[in-house]
Amino acid sequence: MAKITGKCWVASDYVMAYDIIIQRFWTAPIDKAENAKWVMAGVSPEFNRENGFIEGGYTFIVAAHNFAGGGKSIEHVVAGLMGAGIQAVFADSFSRLQFRNAINYGLPFITSKNIAKGCQTGDELVWDTDEGTVMNLRTGEVFHSVPVAPFVAEVAASGGLMNFVRHKIANGTIHELN
Amino acid sequence: MTITEKIMARNSGRDKVVPGQLVWVDVHSIMTMDYLGEQCFKQFRSLGLNEVFDKDRVICVSDHLVPPPTEQFATMLNRWRDIVKAHDITYFYDLGRQGIAHQIMVEQGHVLPGKVSIGTDSHANTYGAVGAVGNAIGVTDAAVAMATGKCWLRVPESVKFVIKGQWQPYVMAKDLSLHIMGMMHWNGHLIYKTLEFTGEAIEALDMAGRMTLCNMTVDLGAKNGIVAPDQTTEAYLKGVAKGEWEMIASDPDAHYDAIYEVDVTNVGPTVALPDKLDDTVPVEKVVGRKFNKAFVGTCTNGRVEDFAVMAEILKGKQIHRDVNMIIVPASQTVYLEAMKRGYLQTLVEAGAAVDTPSCAACAGIHTGVAGDGDIVLSAGNRNMKGRMGSKNAQIYLTSPAVVAASAIRGEITDPRETGTY
Repeated sequence: MAKITGKCWVASDYVMAYDIIIQRFWTAPIDKAENAKWVMAGVSPEFNRENGFIEGGYTFIVAAHNFAGGGKSIEHVVAGLMGAGIQAVFADSFSRLQFRNAINYGLPFITSKNIAKGCQTGDELVWDTDEGTVMNLRTGEVFHSVPVAPFVAEVAASGGLMNFVRHKIANGTIHELN
Repeated sequence: MTITEKIMARNSGRDKVVPGQLVWVDVHSIMTMDYLGEQCFKQFRSLGLNEVFDKDRVICVSDHLVPPPTEQFATMLNRWRDIVKAHDITYFYDLGRQGIAHQIMVEQGHVLPGKVSIGTDSHANTYGAVGAVGNAIGVTDAAVAMATGKCWLRVPESVKFVIKGQWQPYVMAKDLSLHIMGMMHWNGHLIYKTLEFTGEAIEALDMAGRMTLCNMTVDLGAKNGIVAPDQTTEAYLKGVAKGEWEMIASDPDAHYDAIYEVDVTNVGPTVALPDKLDDTVPVEKVVGRKFNKAFVGTCTNGRVEDFAVMAEILKGKQIHRDVNMIIVPASQTVYLEAMKRGYLQTLVEAGAAVDTPSCAACAGIHTGVAGDGDIVLSAGNRNMKGRMGSKNAQIYLTSPAVVAASAIRGEITDPRETGTY
């Protein structure tokens, strides 16, 4: 049983991938620590400086609809959030492209309806990863989430898709992917 | 099953799949390009492997950064070339033989009906035009597919668009795309879904139009867009297809989450207002608005058919002195064909500048970007603030026909009025 406690940053609807990683970093190498320095720079003026988001010390992001949307497939988005210490993102819905990248990196993107309505930036949340619940310590309100698919959990437990595949190659089961 | 479900079932060795299921599918081709490709190969190598699963089916294209505008990008391209050559990749479309990756994948026959193809760029949805499942993926997925020939996919719920009626003069697939964008809303409730386009107006559409339509499904938030293969598809693929293909169609009893009908007879030239893709209006609502830059190119609207319409409108005319127009053929093949047919001559005579086939200004990181105060009338695919460069520029999105007609007056113009001025 795992419980993770930390501070959340609450986003509005439609936080776009191209604002999480701004244009001039699209062609940079994918690197968690490097991508984290300017992550979220386009989302809010307060983050538009080096380490602007990291310094907030957030563990979770809470969002509403279509988090990380707008149609960019670059992995810098997820790498940058992880590098900034984000351990999970809770939202009503996610963009498909970044939902996929998050699964491949083992960063939980957890679908939880209406959670943004019950949280404010700076609230302490407790995420019970086994129960799939999120409690807001300020209000006591508990939010439920859509269970994570077994494959997604397996990839996360491996530390991401690359490691998942590495293990399969090492133990000779790579041809069994189905 | 729907066509997308059938393709996922067949390419994962199953008789049946259902929406929501996660399956590993065999990938027919994998595309990667200049600014992410080196990282794909490095990740692939980190698996302890040296040879990709099939050298003929990992397709490498230089498109975002060619010719390099900066020393930094020139160096990046050199590393990219070295790593592609080190892996002895059969199909490397580098500067001189280049094009926008999605155009290359379709025109060179690397995507085929009934197969799954993936690419490390969001507009890989374009591949649905030939009846393939085309999906955008990240570097990690590309590396895994290079190693295994496989990719995990979630079987999406299907939504059907039945497009009826007759196309009106100067109304293009782009107008339908923007019309649907306005109707369904940008990245709205079509997230994760597959969009299947059917009906008489789709059957009447050429491959260029089908590519435009499927291309922009990613901007609706959808997983993929698809048009079932027909005679138009087969005629297009003959002589270019790299491999066998299978004609697949949805079963008559296939399940759809929703079915929408659009009568294209009632769709006119359409414009998306600056900043939001779904803020679309019929051109009549914005006639007379001034702009100073015009841009026609991209994986959405940089094809021969697009330049044909423009040349027809601009023949013997002059682009307004206050408008700078850049046109960018989507590939060298498109460039040559548009040249042979005289379209480029007509457009250059009218005062347009022709740029080298590439993504150009579309992603705001290459040539022809927008500066402060610019108002751009673009036939590209995205118009959010800063997309083409400055955050202080405005981008209107529309069809090549609207761009051409408007460029003459220097203000937004209904192309159906062409010939009356």
